[in-house]
Amino acid sequence: MSFAEVSATAAMVVGAVAIIAAFSIGDARRRALVTGVLTALCGFSGLLAASGVLATGRPVHAEFPHLLPFAGLSFRLDPLGAVFVLAVGGVVTAAAVYGIGYTRDHLSGRSFQALVPAFALTLLLVPAASSMGTFLVFWELMALTSLLLVLAEQRRSPEARDAAMWYGVMTHLGFIALLLMFSLLAAHSGNGSFLAIERSSSSMDPALRSLVFILAVVGFGSKAGMVPLHAWLPRAHPEAPSHVSALMSGVMVKLGVYGIVRVGFGLLGGGPSWWWVVLLVLGAASALFGILQAIASSDLKRMLAYSTTENIGLILIGVGAAGLFTTTGHPILAAAALGAVLLHVINHAAFKALLFLAAGSVVHGAGERNLDRLGGLMRRMPVTGAMFALGAVAIAALPPLNGFASEWLLLQSLIHGADSQALVVAIAVPLAIAVVALTAGLTAATFVKATGTGFLALPRSPAAEAATESPRSMLVGMGFLASVCVLLGVGVGVLGAGIGRAVAAVGGVRKPAPFRVHGSTLSPPWQVVGTSMALAAALVLGVGVIMVLLRFLPSGGRRRRADNWGCGRTQQTARMEYTASSFAEPLVRVFDDVLHPDLDIDVTHRQESQYYVEKIRLRLGIKDAFEERLYRPVLNGIHAWGIWARRLQNGSVHRYLGYAFAALIILLVATR
Amino acid sequence: MSRSAYADLLNLLAGIALVAAVLTLWRRKLIAIVRLLAVQGAAVAAVGILIGIDNDSATEIVLASGALVLKAVVIPLVLLRVVRRGSETRETEPLVNVSASLVAAALLITIAFATTRAVVSLSDSPEAGVIPIGFAIVLVGFFALATRRKAPAQLVGFLLFENGVALVAVLAAAGVSSVVELGVSLDVLLAVLVLQVLTARMQDQFDSLDLDHLQELRD
Amino acid sequence: MNTTRALVPILQLLLVFVGGPLIVGVIRKVRARLEGRVGAPIHQPLRDLRKLFAKERIAPEHASWVFVIAPAVLMTSAAVTAVLVPMVSTVSPFAQVSDLVTITALLLLGTVALALGALDPGTAFGGMGASREMTIAALTEPTLLLSVAAISILTGTTNLPGAINEIIDRPGSVSSIGYVLALVALGIATLAESTRLPVDNPNTHLELTMVHEAMVLEYAGPDLALVETGSSMRLVIFLGLLANLLVPWGIATGSGVAELAVGTLTFGLKIGVLAVALSVFEVFTAKVRLFRVPELLALSLVLSFLGVITSVVHP
Repeated sequence: MSFAEVSATAAMVVGAVAIIAAFSIGDARRRALVTGVLTALCGFSGLLAASGVLATGRPVHAEFPHLLPFAGLSFRLDPLGAVFVLAVGGVVTAAAVYGIGYTRDHLSGRSFQALVPAFALTLLLVPAASSMGTFLVFWELMALTSLLLVLAEQRRSPEARDAAMWYGVMTHLGFIALLLMFSLLAAHSGNGSFLAIERSSSSMDPALRSLVFILAVVGFGSKAGMVPLHAWLPRAHPEAPSHVSALMSGVMVKLGVYGIVRVGFGLLGGGPSWWWVVLLVLGAASALFGILQAIASSDLKRMLAYSTTENIGLILIGVGAAGLFTTTGHPILAAAALGAVLLHVINHAAFKALLFLAAGSVVHGAGERNLDRLGGLMRRMPVTGAMFALGAVAIAALPPLNGFASEWLLLQSLIHGADSQALVVAIAVPLAIAVVALTAGLTAATFVKATGTGFLALPRSPAAEAATESPRSMLVGMGFLASVCVLLGVGVGVLGAGIGRAVAAVGGVRKPAPFRVHGSTLSPPWQVVGTSMALAAALVLGVGVIMVLLRFLPSGGRRRRADNWGCGRTQQTARMEYTASSFAEPLVRVFDDVLHPDLDIDVTHRQESQYYVEKIRLRLGIKDAFEERLYRPVLNGIHAWGIWARRLQNGSVHRYLGYAFAALIILLVATR
Repeated sequence: MSRSAYADLLNLLAGIALVAAVLTLWRRKLIAIVRLLAVQGAAVAAVGILIGIDNDSATEIVLASGALVLKAVVIPLVLLRVVRRGSETRETEPLVNVSASLVAAALLITIAFATTRAVVSLSDSPEAGVIPIGFAIVLVGFFALATRRKAPAQLVGFLLFENGVALVAVLAAAGVSSVVELGVSLDVLLAVLVLQVLTARMQDQFDSLDLDHLQELRD
Repeated sequence: MNTTRALVPILQLLLVFVGGPLIVGVIRKVRARLEGRVGAPIHQPLRDLRKLFAKERIAPEHASWVFVIAPAVLMTSAAVTAVLVPMVSTVSPFAQVSDLVTITALLLLGTVALALGALDPGTAFGGMGASREMTIAALTEPTLLLSVAAISILTGTTNLPGAINEIIDRPGSVSSIGYVLALVALGIATLAESTRLPVDNPNTHLELTMVHEAMVLEYAGPDLALVETGSSMRLVIFLGLLANLLVPWGIATGSGVAELAVGTLTFGLKIGVLAVALSVFEVFTAKVRLFRVPELLALSLVLSFLGVITSVVHP
């Protein structure tokens, strides 16, 4: 058996053992430790299996014809799926180690501890599924396990129940769309396996193909958190325990992207331009909407959830651009765009999971989630603070970390693709560049806000003042992801060949040939490995050299600590600092046509005189525009329809019999 | 002059006209908007003069110069008189705010370029390549006409629209229509004079040039 | 040949490091003369730096390592950019890496570092400066990247030395309205990013009008010297970029010593002219209200977008 096959088997076995261990161990702390370690091993084996497939390019097969009635389970991990399994494996490893310290006090119940490895196993198996039945079974299991995990803390916070309801309903609506889609595909090919579908889909009627694509976008897009089907994301991700949020935001939403790429490029083999324009538009809308909501949000985890929507939007822009380049005859650019997408999938998994784990550490150590009540954590929780700062630099796409590499590649493919004869490309691509650039700037602003107000300066509440650093296992989990971010930023060439094979495995896109910078071609980062390493080395060296040189100054290395310049005030308190809401105010003001903030100011005057103010209460609320304009009318409409439909049920037995009789007549006539 | 220099100069003048049109959406002071209109009119008329030079036709050059005087001197002077008569010198917040108007202008220009591609591909001449810019000016002018609150600013929008149409006509017919051009400009001057009287009456009635006040003229 | 090639980055770094304060001195001198004063000598900023380096190092009580490291990060990002942007010569060991997108990202890194360093002391000034600076930076990003797109469409590459070589060899490819629009937009973005008028007044100390000055209020001594130098280096880099994209002739395309000397002289001349023009512009311009700055940046966005569209339609 090959390395990949051994690792894959090991992953499954260890995962199953983890579930059993969770149920059988009695002592809570030991249960958390053993389950955590086993889940981490399971994830790590998955990571090894995926790297094996990426290194050799040879897929891994497995068939279990009797495990499921009619069709059985069949798995085939090809390089495209392996990219996603790589991301899953890495995040599972880190989250599981983190979970040891995070859950040992209050979440160490048997069912919770068993659900986490179960969730991890489903995440590892979905990208490997190669038949309709297998895919849908594990997709649904993934949704169920994550739903139960979101409910884990429902006793502590009532919002968790609301979040779980939204999540449950939306994921099942998406499931229905996917079921319809797969049924259409399988009906046409006569067989549920992906290979058969791929072979027969080219003979499908174009209208039917478009319907399949739309269903895929709806079903997978809602899982990915694409606008306008994103409403569950900012509710569910903050309410889940932090390592589960890391898994959901870091990798589960990516499986939605996997589905779109697999169906759009692989199973259907490409399509007309309007498909990809639709994806581009939805991606651009998600990116802009997500980051605007993130910048206006003061809740740390909600901000991270909206930021996930934004990154999914960027990924979908890349997918749309890749498809558009394929249909207009630029296969090299399409390959570059798709490579950027896959690279960003891995990078985002790494830094978003890191950020969520750090946020969880903050909640664990300080007990607060609201940025307006945090602060001063960099000195009280130094490791968590440094991890968050690293994640923030990575997500803002700044050199030398990994976010920069994938954003660079995406922008390069878009810039080089703007000059085209095809009208649709010539218009869509510059707009896409503008959107990507604007979100890059806004992301930097958002994460400066989060890091600055959450971690720097003075604590804004007693809870933040009493914050303590988290247990070692949590720090180790975060450290693993942080080192991945640094590694992928400095040595992105490590992934280069693997991503090339993954792109080649996607049907309809040509394998990228090596090409150079001059002329109208571009050079992918894995061919300029020296670039990123040189940049990173230069930056780190520069900072180090400067810090050392400063010690040789006449004033010496000693640094005197003194009070700030106060402009006449007597004492520095936390009330004088900028809060997260005030930091974001200029940007919220610029975009107030999109965000529609409600500002509510309530002034209480003193009893004695109207001229003296006793208390002022300010409330700034930003509602989700899609929920107000789209969801509310739809839900009201459904509610009204439901009330109308109650008239059908008036209690009369004669009427019910009449319905059955009418149905019988209609069936007879229709199927004669 | 050489073909490439001619094409470059043509592009430059058309580009100046377009940028001036976009800038009228950005500036708030009415006097500045009228000055931008003068610059824009001068550029459009200069295109006519340039085409006349290229065709070596003296009549065209003279007629285009006449249009230049009308567009860049006479009409702006009349407009300045309208502005000075009004009680305020700035444009209040237009129906669509400034940043959104600029973004809308970018989209309109994109639409103009996209939809005139077929026209451009009909001919290889440098004039045909500049037609999309003319259409873009037309759309931007119409947008300004529809979304400004103050009467002088709306007039400027109308005149931008007019200049855009003139530019497209001059380019499409490559100079033959300079007589028509001059006639149309005189008609436009007449329209502006009538509107000047109208705005004077508005100022007397409402003590303001804000067009929303016209909604009060109902039974 | 190889030694002179390796000399280019060092030469550029020194030039920008020393030239930064000198350019600031030139701008102040021209401004003073236009305002009817004599003004300080051109090398006064260098003397100020020497004075600052001799002072004691102070940090606020509540600040963490972020405050300490931010000036070094700003300075390093400016230094790396100075090495990458071709100012004196287009050949350098790092020519492959010198990419317009990378340079935009490096400049953003410097801005982010400074903003975080401003939030650390916990003063209201720092928060205000950081908030305004990040707003301006976020709104300038699309302009920068769209201008990059327009330039690369016209020259056929995003690699900066390659683009400049292309402009020198075939000036006709960039004599189009799209290029002019892209450079105008880039000019407005330069004013915004290097915190000059009409976006930010570098000479004000009124808190309501400060952006950049508010961020560096707590820095003193050698840290302030690093921040000032880093900012003036960024200004020189922007001016150099604009100059070399507008009028690239004079830049060395090989690495002979004579060519490098000519390249250095023409570079000095070009940014000197631009600095004088900037100073004259600043004397006659008022600062735009903070809440009107997004409108100015929207205008530059529209201009750069127009630049891209016209470059695609009129190749």
